[in-house]
Amino acid sequence: MRKFLVVFSLIAVAALGVAQETVTIRLAGYSGDTPLMQDVLSRFVNGVIPGVQVVWEPITEDYLAFVLRTLSAGTAPDIIYVDLYWAKTVVETGLIQPLDEFMAASPVISREDLIPVLADAFTFDGKLYAISKDFNSLVIFYNKDMFDAMGVPYPDAGDTWATFLDKIARVSNPPEWYGASINPDAARFLPFAFAAGMPFLKDDGTAPFDLPAAKIAADWYTSFNRAGIAATSADIGVGWPGAAFIAEKAAVCIEGGWLIPPIRNENPTLNFGATFLPTVWQGGPRGNYLFTVGYGMPVNPPSGRPDLVFKVIEVLTSPEVQEYILESGHAIPSRKALLDSPFFQQLDPFALATKTVFEATGLPGTVPFTFGDVGGGNYMGVVNEALTLIMQGEATVDEAMDEAATKLNEKLGL
Amino acid sequence: MRKRGEWVSAFVFLLPLLFTLAIAFFYAFVRTVYFSFTDYNLFRVSQFVGLKNYLALFRDSYFILGLVHSLVYAAIVTASQTFLALLLAVVVNQKIRGLTFFRAAYYVPSIASSVAITTIFIWLVNRRGTVNWLLGLVVQYWPLMITAFGIAALVQVLQVLWERRHGLPVKALDPVLLATSLLVGAVSTVILGRVGLIRSNPEVEVLIPWLTTRQTFLGIPLPLLSIMMLNIWTTTPTMMILFLAGLQDIPQELYEVADIDGATPWQKLRYVTVPALRPVMFLVITLGLIGTIQMFDQAAITAGIAPLESVITLAYYVFWAVFGTGTLPKVGMASAAALVLAMLTLIVVLLQRKVGFSERGWYS
Repeated sequence: MRKFLVVFSLIAVAALGVAQETVTIRLAGYSGDTPLMQDVLSRFVNGVIPGVQVVWEPITEDYLAFVLRTLSAGTAPDIIYVDLYWAKTVVETGLIQPLDEFMAASPVISREDLIPVLADAFTFDGKLYAISKDFNSLVIFYNKDMFDAMGVPYPDAGDTWATFLDKIARVSNPPEWYGASINPDAARFLPFAFAAGMPFLKDDGTAPFDLPAAKIAADWYTSFNRAGIAATSADIGVGWPGAAFIAEKAAVCIEGGWLIPPIRNENPTLNFGATFLPTVWQGGPRGNYLFTVGYGMPVNPPSGRPDLVFKVIEVLTSPEVQEYILESGHAIPSRKALLDSPFFQQLDPFALATKTVFEATGLPGTVPFTFGDVGGGNYMGVVNEALTLIMQGEATVDEAMDEAATKLNEKLGL
Repeated sequence: MRKRGEWVSAFVFLLPLLFTLAIAFFYAFVRTVYFSFTDYNLFRVSQFVGLKNYLALFRDSYFILGLVHSLVYAAIVTASQTFLALLLAVVVNQKIRGLTFFRAAYYVPSIASSVAITTIFIWLVNRRGTVNWLLGLVVQYWPLMITAFGIAALVQVLQVLWERRHGLPVKALDPVLLATSLLVGAVSTVILGRVGLIRSNPEVEVLIPWLTTRQTFLGIPLPLLSIMMLNIWTTTPTMMILFLAGLQDIPQELYEVADIDGATPWQKLRYVTVPALRPVMFLVITLGLIGTIQMFDQAAITAGIAPLESVITLAYYVFWAVFGTGTLPKVGMASAAALVLAMLTLIVVLLQRKVGFSERGWYS
């Protein structure tokens, strides 16, 4: 009996020791990523990295508000998403840590493995603050059946603003379907304005919206809805233009790779294609936005084990995981090596669209989706309002864009 | 002289509330006051800046707009919901058939989640939503409607005059005569339509952008007006329940006396019901004012679609200054705005108590 008790105690102590070694690491991300992330964590992390248990925390509130709130309260999770859109604001808090040292010591990932523009996007004052997990850019999605039905050639990479407008006008067939679903959305409009020559701010630091380039772009961007050949998603009765496209209520929408999984889930037989945004004139400039989200780590991660936290980030951005995410059609990987993945050689519409999104990112004129010190809420807010007014005929292009400039200047204290 | 034990037990029972008040209210309030005099941004060590935040507030056009909107909103919504709630309460206090159903039906908007209701409301007021569709029907068929109601009114007047001439004391809206009049109005409109004497307008698509616009009506932005209608609809029933409770307490004898004196229903409402309801009225108006001046959720949800300057309220301004701009939170400014909001609420409630309804009963 005594022998049994001794053995039992030893086993218990050993088990306790093992249990104590397991470190819990909290990873908080967009709630929409839940199925994918839970799948990835169970396949590649939990039970695979010894002594680490990663807990997924889906965030439903505004993510920036969540990050600022938890960082300032000292309750931030071990791994946070860092959206390029507001990365600078979060880095300025001084409460997320540069990853260069971890990366220098890592056999798995180095700065050279990442697509340069993605590494540069998260670099502030020479330090890398987040490792890009994936990226996206805008493309024109088009419904082939609708273009065929109306006898209109598909949108293609050779389209200019004028030919694109013409194609949308000819394919529009309301109330069956609209030529396009276009919202008064700065995140779609601004790449066109930049292509037309509008700078982010004028040389003197004031708002650029009253420049001719901005007005020309605003006039063109809103002309679809004003002519009745495009409708906003709200007018179509859905939540976003992508949903109008999936529901086959619009022949075209301007979205990124995030549209591909919902098409696969909700309308897998949709006969669609994707191409680049049109150029301003034949052979002229073309704009686009680069969207990317990375993994970042607070200065004092609650697990107290920054080394293990980085190990998890390493695994999540490893070639295996990125290949898996790519093939599930969720995102385009941030590792250079994966750009030669056989996935991109496939000919099904989902792989082709993914490839188009990837190629669009590399075109000249693509700029990171970020607003620096101005604040994306401030910058895009005034543009959204201006576009809404023009689309509804409540203000002329001149009036609305001049007013947007005045308002942004006011917010900038100029 | 109370025993010491009584004091102790009273204090023990009060302790949980006092504790939460101390943490959630007093501590938070003191910190807010402190922050309002600093340039705190959640991360930087805060510097004392004196009255700078307060001065900056009154130079910020969004703050001024929020202030005006909050006051207009509070005045209109509180007045409307109090009036409607009183009417509804008087109606459902009658002994009518299906009373329980009506009480429950009127109360449903109040218990549904504000966020869910607002989302449904956004669908209803879409440019191609139900509200515009109904308006389109009105625009299309108004000649027919006017004709039908016009004929019905004429027939009703004739019938009442006829009955009264023959010595029958009928009311102007006698239900039997009214039903006949409406039937005659409807049938003759159908006949007039068939022979082509009147016709409906061609089908039109009404596309009023209730939320995504900067249009104003009587100086009030249309989106704010939409939120007002929504809020009146959702909060009136709660107020109705309060009035209903108050109505049950009014002695029946007062109405009997009024009946003997020959009071009309309006006079009974004006001189018996309303004075007897003074304490409830104070509660309803006070709760209404506090709720409306601090309105946040509906502004926050519609701000995603409507122009910010059309829906911003003081409470939303506070949130916006912290999380809305995409830059580091301006906690100092937001704290100053929150304190202005708190002071404003207090002043408005005190003012209401002084010049409007106070909590003292009619009998005092």
